[in-house]
Amino acid sequence: MITLTINDREVSVYGTATILEAAASVGIKIPTLCYFKGLDSFGGCRMCLVEIERVPRLQTACTVRVTEGMVVRTESEAITAARRAMLEFLLINHPLDCPVCDKAGECDLQDLVAIYGAHEGRFLEGKRTHPENFNDPFIVRNMDRCILCTRCTRMCDGPQGAYAIAVTGRGSHSFIEPFSGGRYNCEYCGNCLTVCPVGAIMSRLHRHSYRPWYVEREVETVCGFCGVGCTMVLQMRGGSIIRTMPYVGEGAVTGSYGSAGSAAPAQGLNKGLLCVRGRFGYDYLENNERLETPLIRKKGILEPVTWDEALSYVASGLKDVKAVHGAKSIGAIASGRCTNEDNYMLQKLMRFVIGTNNIDSSARFYYSPAQSYLERIFGHGVTANLIPGIANADGVLVAGGDPTAINPILGLQVRALWRKRGKIIVVGTPSGLRRFVNYEIKPHPYLEEAVLGAIVTRLAAKKGFRGENDNIEKYIKATAMPGEQLLKKANVSKEIVDQAAEDLAMMKSAVVIIGPELMERPGASKNLFLVSAIAYLTDARIFLLSERPNYQGVIDMGCAPDILPGGRPIEADVLQHKIKDADVADHKIPEHKIKDTAWTKAPVRKGLNLFAMIEAALEGNLKALYVMGENPVFNFPDRRKIENALSKVDFLIVHDIFMTETARRADVVLPAAAWTEKDGTFTNLERRLQRVRSGIPTMPGRGSVSYHRGGGADKRPEWKTLAGIGRLMGMKENYLTSSDVWEEVSRVSTLHAGLSYDRIAGGNTIWPYGSEPFRGVEGEFEVEAPGMPPAMDDGKIYLLQERQLYHSGSITRKSKALMSISCEAHVLLNAGFAERCGLKDGDKVIVTTETGSLTLPVKTDREIPENVAYVPNNFDNVSPLGIIGYTVDGYLGSISLSGNVVTITKADGPSDAAAGEGYGDKKE
Amino acid sequence: MEKILLKNIDNPDSAGIEEYIRAGGYKTLEMAVTQMTPRDIIDEVKNSGLRGRGGAGFPTGMKWQIASMDPKFPKYLICNADEGEPGTFKDRPILEKNPHLLIEGMVISAYALQSTRGYIYLRGEYPLAAGILSRAISAAYGKGYLGNDILSRRFRFDLYLHRGAGAYICGEETALIESLEGKRGQPRVKPPFPVNAGVWNKPTIINNVETFANIPYITEVGGKTYSKIGSKDSPGPKLFSVSGKVVKPGVYELPMGITLREIIYGHCGGLMEGRTLKGVIPGGVSTPILTPEKIDCQMDFVHLSKVGSLFGSGAVIVFDDTVCLVKVYERIMQFFEHESCGKCVPCREGTGWMRNILGRIGSGGGTDEDLDTLEDVAKNVAGKTFCPLGDGAANVTLAFLKQYRDEIEYHVKNGKCPVDGLPHKDNRESHGGQSAPVEQT
Repeated sequence: MITLTINDREVSVYGTATILEAAASVGIKIPTLCYFKGLDSFGGCRMCLVEIERVPRLQTACTVRVTEGMVVRTESEAITAARRAMLEFLLINHPLDCPVCDKAGECDLQDLVAIYGAHEGRFLEGKRTHPENFNDPFIVRNMDRCILCTRCTRMCDGPQGAYAIAVTGRGSHSFIEPFSGGRYNCEYCGNCLTVCPVGAIMSRLHRHSYRPWYVEREVETVCGFCGVGCTMVLQMRGGSIIRTMPYVGEGAVTGSYGSAGSAAPAQGLNKGLLCVRGRFGYDYLENNERLETPLIRKKGILEPVTWDEALSYVASGLKDVKAVHGAKSIGAIASGRCTNEDNYMLQKLMRFVIGTNNIDSSARFYYSPAQSYLERIFGHGVTANLIPGIANADGVLVAGGDPTAINPILGLQVRALWRKRGKIIVVGTPSGLRRFVNYEIKPHPYLEEAVLGAIVTRLAAKKGFRGENDNIEKYIKATAMPGEQLLKKANVSKEIVDQAAEDLAMMKSAVVIIGPELMERPGASKNLFLVSAIAYLTDARIFLLSERPNYQGVIDMGCAPDILPGGRPIEADVLQHKIKDADVADHKIPEHKIKDTAWTKAPVRKGLNLFAMIEAALEGNLKALYVMGENPVFNFPDRRKIENALSKVDFLIVHDIFMTETARRADVVLPAAAWTEKDGTFTNLERRLQRVRSGIPTMPGRGSVSYHRGGGADKRPEWKTLAGIGRLMGMKENYLTSSDVWEEVSRVSTLHAGLSYDRIAGGNTIWPYGSEPFRGVEGEFEVEAPGMPPAMDDGKIYLLQERQLYHSGSITRKSKALMSISCEAHVLLNAGFAERCGLKDGDKVIVTTETGSLTLPVKTDREIPENVAYVPNNFDNVSPLGIIGYTVDGYLGSISLSGNVVTITKADGPSDAAAGEGYGDKKE
Repeated sequence: MEKILLKNIDNPDSAGIEEYIRAGGYKTLEMAVTQMTPRDIIDEVKNSGLRGRGGAGFPTGMKWQIASMDPKFPKYLICNADEGEPGTFKDRPILEKNPHLLIEGMVISAYALQSTRGYIYLRGEYPLAAGILSRAISAAYGKGYLGNDILSRRFRFDLYLHRGAGAYICGEETALIESLEGKRGQPRVKPPFPVNAGVWNKPTIINNVETFANIPYITEVGGKTYSKIGSKDSPGPKLFSVSGKVVKPGVYELPMGITLREIIYGHCGGLMEGRTLKGVIPGGVSTPILTPEKIDCQMDFVHLSKVGSLFGSGAVIVFDDTVCLVKVYERIMQFFEHESCGKCVPCREGTGWMRNILGRIGSGGGTDEDLDTLEDVAKNVAGKTFCPLGDGAANVTLAFLKQYRDEIEYHVKNGKCPVDGLPHKDNRESHGGQSAPVEQT
């Protein structure tokens, strides 16, 4: 610790602190413009000039590190004069257009001029001018206003790692420009908007409609797009979001939210960063197509009805089905987009009111099978690792998907690790990590197993066995070194594999990131096992990428056919030998507790999982299906099969925010509330519990009241609707607010025991939440017998889903903003392959599988393997998943895409890809 | 005085390696690597009292010692050949006529500092020197003075020529490093200093061309003998590039501590017939101007600062009574504005403002307040900039204002120039709502 004196106060700080940080630690504010917490210091604006005793010149507080006995003054006449001079210099070229500038009111320059002057200019010549630049769909550059603090470029080259913008020109003529010149063509994270201290880089989404004083409410919540769970602030006016901002703590002056905070608040796990979806994607919530009233199919047509009518219709419908066909003919699909409270309530309705364990969600595709497989190898909570910790590791292995697209903020941590000279090894196309790897390991899809197997055998030879886990070691020993022929077929050289094994062996604190692509193909368990083996051998922390904000919560709330809330297996007898007698004596067995609150025991037999429910429906055994926040027709593979299955369901209830492809087939459609419209909790992929807060003022005892668009549309949270149905079916409990629901969860689930909203509010509720974590499943796992990997015939093209950074499932097609960046589907082909086929970017092709075809424009990419065609599953009328089939992996229980061999032919007609209406279409 | 730096310069083939060796070149290198330890060389350089010839005058020996004590490797050796200040052309004869002296100096330095890789960062506008240097480097490789096994002593040093892209700021050592690393040429925060964390964050020794050119001689004759040349505090020979209104402008190798009067009247043939001396800039345009009565001042780092100027790079610019200094300073400010990298606010905005005021005064539109504003702006820039470029611009303006206020006031009062009786052409940029031009250099 170093002790220095700042403004006659003694301050003790660590030796690496700058004067600015030391001053901030005792609440002394030094004005800054180019400084931004988390970015490299720059020292260009000269606003933080301070006096240091025995140093002749004024020094910049942001760059000078403290020394023992240093005596600093942060305010004096000379300092004030210097700051005024700097501001006067800035105003030479900065226009005085505050009255028409959206930044006015939260502009650092404006605020500082108000404090220090110069109130009158002495510069007589004209200002430098730049025309406003509207080339981009949502970033407006107004370079007249730029003060060249370079916070944006330091953000872009630093934490974001996009390298999209740079200072062009020299001296006072320099300005910020994307490398492309016009459109940004970047990752559109918009983090440059967060850091711009003036109105030089602004969002077009709220252009001329945002002023700081328009903000009526600022609500700190958690982003609802992916499983990272970034902390963000909704700035609300009249029930509408006018802007979303990352939650930036004190020191970063952007937004009134930041400066309003008292003690330095945590910045959330995203540390003030957001991705394109979180920052710009919110506008889908206000799309005109939002469902506003319940609909009941009458004479074949969905007609609006009152809530009361809808709820009693659903309740009596379910009662009838149960009476005639029994509870086991009813099923439900929960949603990774809904809160824990919603999912808990759906589970309660199914399990304890109706009496069926037929509940599952799309987490079944890969997330929950992979997690339970990993937990069987390593024990519970193996994926509960903290995202910010990735940057503190010394190496990362990524397999199965691009984290910078699936979970962008997690991806940024990988990039941060790269900047700290950590090793990044990606098995697969690195995509967003392209600039962050030393060498590429791009096996042909379907042949990852060979490469991973080769790495595992070499790594095991290098590292040896620790003897901690006999089971996994047994399987590792049984792993044969794939022959060179196979590696050659996989298109990976032996040297690269050696290098990767070498690098992995050197890692002392490793991280393994597992994505969905590893599991959605035949041999999934082998792939997952091999990655687990690498994790075991390097003693790595494991991260499982999650495409939905609350896949983990869906599992934790018991929305699975075999587990109860808190993760207890439903078939207690299976575990009899593992449960201690003491637990029974203390009534810790969850069934007892649930019985207290829900007057009935859960059915003891396992229910049907997602795939089994579809099969049951096809066989006519599933008579009623409650689909909440999911769109099986569009988001699940094999559309024909899904449609067929749904058509055989007598009573289909769809609970969603839009009239989705699935909702159109429903008997009852219930409008849902989006994540910004309800209170609750999400559990992210780190298994961190975080509070989701409604931006709309809530009145106790009623639904959230929204008085925007549609005048009085009732944004009723799903749990409330479900509880209403439950009460009509005989449930006794009455819940007024989401915290009542949560309170019940905390009583029912031993995992969440004693957790209140107050405790969750801090965002530091991390697994196992202070409870006794459930243990007792380790060691029981199987690996598919090693053998030849699935047929990967030369020359065949496999259709796979492209997971886009700019889109999330099927909801973002309702976001004008996101549609303006990525407005139509395409088929992504290897550039070399396309060239050989005589195809170039933009050419229309027909992609045909056994069951269907899509007409799409071609997009070429040099980086992807030759034998794949990637198509995003995010656009209207273009569902690549819909035209391929699936099977269920016998070992994992995850989805395995099949029938995805395609032929590609040139087309002449128009494509299926719908052109989106975007902001970019209009010229201002 | 015996020529040391410009030895052999009159030989038309002086740049060739054969001629250089014939005149005794690379002998010192051979002697150094066979008979001296790296430590010995650093000690000799310290004893010589050699001060950096780039302008700041930092003791070279001390810089080397700090760098040699840094345990990090590799160590990089950089020759700053980004000679770009108006009036300065002293390195050019070495680069074009005596490149092997520089290379020999660098190899000896590399041996002393145990550096294995060196760069010559050459000013972008020196295409002739670029050709000569690259040929000289290949020739040195050919003769085994560079490469993996220099003089069969298992000593390795690779030398690369890197051409700048035309930015004055890249003569500043940290901006030079940024530029060398492929980034935008802007100065870095100091500390850490390049000797500890320079190129790729490794210890980096940056010296001027002329500094390196002194090394062979120091190594040859020893620091003590060398220190007898020139003045006590700043010993050694020095190249002066004299320009302006003298009869024989050019580069002169003279001992440090010589007076300005001797340079102008003794070596450069004085002023032209019938002219009177109006002022002298002693070390390039970033050093404050001296009035004629101060020309008896000794030219070295110590004495010049005593009379309110700086030694700089030894670029003497002489003005006689036919020159309008307001015009000169407007041009100088134009240079600083053009070359300001834009990183820090006072330099970026202040240099242009000062140019605008001087331009307005010169073209007859000046007012009495302009003088105060000019002084105020200069004071607001001085001492508050990120690097010395802005400081230099402000300090020369302040010195000019102080010493030639009469001449400026004449412009303000009469709206015309005292030299030719006409107002200057108004060169101020017209800011007419056009997109700012991206300056091409």
